[in-house]
Amino acid sequence: MYPKLIGALVALGLTATIATAQDYPSKEIQGIIQWGAGGSTDTVMRSVTPHAEDVLGGTVVMQNMTGAVGAIALNHVAGSTADGYTLLMGAENPMLYKVMGLGDKDYGEFIPINILARGTPILVANKDAPYDDYAGLMAYIAENPGEVRIGSTGPGGVPSVVTAMMNTVEGELDLIAVPYDGDGPALTALQGGAIDVMPAVLGAAIEGIRAGNIKPLAVFDLAPNSKLPDVPAVTSFNEAYSTYLPWGPFFGVFVPKGTPDDVVAKLSDAYATGARHPDFVELMDSRGFTLMSISGDEADAFLTKWQQGTAWLLHDAGLTKTSPEEFGIARPGE
Amino acid sequence: MNPEFRGDSDHHDGTSDATPGGYPAQRRPGELGFAIFLTIASLVLLYNAYGISGLGALSAPGSVPMATTFIMLVTAGMVTLRTARMPKVANETMANDILPLLIIIFIGFLVVFGLMLKPVGFAPTAALFLIVAIKVLARRGWGYTLLVALGSLIVIWLVFRVVFTVLLPAGIVPEAEFIQIFRNLLSGN
Amino acid sequence: METLLAIFTIFTQPQLLLLVGIGTFAGIYIGAIPGLSVTMAVSILISFTFSWDVYPAISLMVGIYMGGVYGGSRTAILLNIPGAPSAIATAMDGYPMAKRGEAGQAIGVTTVMSFFGGFIGILVLALAAPFVSDFALTFQPRDYMLLAILGILLVGSLSSGSLVKGIFAGAFGIAIGSVGRDPLTFTERLTFDLQIMQGGISFIAVMIGMFGVSEALLQLQNVDKVAVRQKISKIVPSFATMRKHLPLSLQTSTIGVIIGALPGTGGDIAALMAYDHAKRVTKNPERPFGEGAMEGLVAPETANNAAVGGAFIPMMTLGIPGDAVTAIMIGALFIHGLNPGPMLMIDQPDMFWFIVGALMTANVFMLIFGLTGIRIFTKIVEMPRSIIIPLIFLLSIVGAYAVNNAISDVYWMLGFGVLGFFMRHYGYPLGPVILGVILSRLLDDNWRRAIISEREDLGRFFEGIITSPLSLTLFTAVILIFVSQTPLWSAAKIRLFGKAST
Repeated sequence: MYPKLIGALVALGLTATIATAQDYPSKEIQGIIQWGAGGSTDTVMRSVTPHAEDVLGGTVVMQNMTGAVGAIALNHVAGSTADGYTLLMGAENPMLYKVMGLGDKDYGEFIPINILARGTPILVANKDAPYDDYAGLMAYIAENPGEVRIGSTGPGGVPSVVTAMMNTVEGELDLIAVPYDGDGPALTALQGGAIDVMPAVLGAAIEGIRAGNIKPLAVFDLAPNSKLPDVPAVTSFNEAYSTYLPWGPFFGVFVPKGTPDDVVAKLSDAYATGARHPDFVELMDSRGFTLMSISGDEADAFLTKWQQGTAWLLHDAGLTKTSPEEFGIARPGE
Repeated sequence: MNPEFRGDSDHHDGTSDATPGGYPAQRRPGELGFAIFLTIASLVLLYNAYGISGLGALSAPGSVPMATTFIMLVTAGMVTLRTARMPKVANETMANDILPLLIIIFIGFLVVFGLMLKPVGFAPTAALFLIVAIKVLARRGWGYTLLVALGSLIVIWLVFRVVFTVLLPAGIVPEAEFIQIFRNLLSGN
Repeated sequence: METLLAIFTIFTQPQLLLLVGIGTFAGIYIGAIPGLSVTMAVSILISFTFSWDVYPAISLMVGIYMGGVYGGSRTAILLNIPGAPSAIATAMDGYPMAKRGEAGQAIGVTTVMSFFGGFIGILVLALAAPFVSDFALTFQPRDYMLLAILGILLVGSLSSGSLVKGIFAGAFGIAIGSVGRDPLTFTERLTFDLQIMQGGISFIAVMIGMFGVSEALLQLQNVDKVAVRQKISKIVPSFATMRKHLPLSLQTSTIGVIIGALPGTGGDIAALMAYDHAKRVTKNPERPFGEGAMEGLVAPETANNAAVGGAFIPMMTLGIPGDAVTAIMIGALFIHGLNPGPMLMIDQPDMFWFIVGALMTANVFMLIFGLTGIRIFTKIVEMPRSIIIPLIFLLSIVGAYAVNNAISDVYWMLGFGVLGFFMRHYGYPLGPVILGVILSRLLDDNWRRAIISEREDLGRFFEGIITSPLSLTLFTAVILIFVSQTPLWSAAKIRLFGKAST
């Protein structure tokens, strides 16, 4: 025991000064989760990371760091040493920080380790609503302007983007947007009748739909979802949506730019393997998420495309603080 | 004794959170100054709350902060006026009854603790604080001081850092490496 | 009927029984240490129990939850630092009891009453879950707002001494709660354009600072005094005591279950509301409230443990979390391949009855562990002040940091500690500040939701209140309580009854 301990202490002195990629990880890795415990991001990260740990042969200590729509966690990781010992586990929001005036950093300062999965938005309504599908809702809004209450989760959230899409495609809709601090509370309010309709992530609404507590109106995708095959895709009501779809929130693991390539490779490999684990695949499927598990250039391209489409959509709907142009975000298709 | 008053008779600083200290009809040293400070602070906050969204919609983000800071300003103003009219408490002084040297010293310790926490790290800062604080308060030998301070620090560190994996600022101590080595030892690598 | 037998699953498998026991024991200590929260412990357990089966994982979490809600009362009584937000009201009469050397008795009553409240909560969960969850769903934003106002009016009963200072403290609390980026519009509020203010001020940091640090600073003045010797006889309260408090504890347990079942409100608000209720209905307490009234312990402790059962009601019937801990448990169920939601009760009724059984067991363990470790616990307050004061400071710092891994919370905690120190000296009550912080979001968010839903039309807003029976009831309660606290009411009373009110 003793020689081992002395050896360990010597090693301690060495690892503190020269941490090479060969022995990465030589200490525990911090995983900073951008959102609170129990949320979607939290659940996804806590369920994939143990599988990645097995591959990595190290420990990832996960911490929730909430506040300022995730900007606090993002700034914390961006300011840490780029040695692969601090990971950012986040969702899509940072890609809109700049245009929404919430911060001056986004995933552009990071290297994507793995974009794990993507969610599909679905428009749902209170079960007693006097309309049964998307077309019915549109007719109802036209007849009763300013009466329909739609749930939202603040600027830049999934509902605000979907609502912006609806306003762009259908022309300005006269709705009352009632803000909630997450799709969980908003869906609760929907069931209690405080709001009438709500664009939510499929995974969050699926159990309520199955039980008949929530009425699905349309899936915001190009085709119906295999989890809810009876719910029509929104493009079947209005073809114009196909310009913006598929679109959805995503979850990913990131490290600050400047992290050594071999460390990035090791982490990417670990998370890609972790994401293939049957348990995780099943979890993603049951929650209605589309498994992506992309990294490297593919992930960069996905992020760029996502940011361009969404930022300009919001900008055209007049919801942004600053034009995407200011930050060099090109209009899609240009 | 006034039936309205249920404070602590030693220092008039309240027996619990439900029964605050002070005297009902007299003012303590510094009480007026504190009331004026709160009034000014309320005014600053009200001005800042007004700046959030101005006087606009009822649902504006600034409406509730403006209402509450306005109430703060009004009540703080009332307290200030009432306090100013009260007679001073005889035989109490700032240095004896409100803010003795020892408390100023400890507030100083805590400020230094807060400033050192990030750059130096939790373990050394906390060790230093405990040793100095216990030495000052207990006035016992170094052996006793070191034993109690380091012993309790180790327990706290183990509970928070190891069991609950709270990432306390590591600072100059290579904590993470140390724990990893310990883990390796345990798993017998 | 067969599914009902699932309630006994826990007894047929010693391993599960053991896990609930370990969980409860750990929970008591986690709850007792400020800064270590049940929420945090349960979310760490998600990774830890990842590879386990679902029953053992849930057993451990349920134990920790039950123990943790109760454990918060320990440090509230002994050190005046509530270990968890739900124990804030407990400190108000518990700590004065410890100061008189009655810590053992206080803990004894707390334990038995927590058990009782927990039991009522579980009973309601088992027998009336669908009914209660339907009721909870009918709460509209305006009802939550009225509930918050009702809570704010507690300021009157939480602050003895100057009411004006109490109102100031309450308003101050609400203002603290609104600092940072507004969660609905992301507008910066009261941040003075400082980066450090963006994330807002952690409520736990305010709580630890105001209660813990300010108390420790005050105690510095008495550092050489010998600690009060604690009487450790009479720990288990007598049957007569229990019977005397039975009507009150039934009422406060009901408050606990309902507040717990409402999504967005939890044990902390339930305990404060119950404390206020006790103060209203108790005509002749043995000792005044705030100086060690037994009722001041009975009410919050029954309510916060009853809120545990309450929080499971929307979780089990609708898949909607009743509080932060049940939110994480929903995540845990997902990870273990279950689909918590309205279908869970239909697809897997066993799970429901298993959780009821586990909660019952945890409640019994809580009673056992609660009543056995008291002697060692009370020794804490008999430690020399020269050691305990520095340790309180250290624990406060670690606790404030641990909540959100933010150094700024440590600064806030220290700042509020010093402010609280002066507030105590000058007769400003601290209870209303905490109350304000807790209720700030509930009031602010729901006021805005309610008025946005009515298109900024106050006429439509009041029409909504008057036409809904629930809103009308809450509104009437608000008016009655408000009037009863104003001097006008006392004057009217004298005129009507010809004598001053007591």
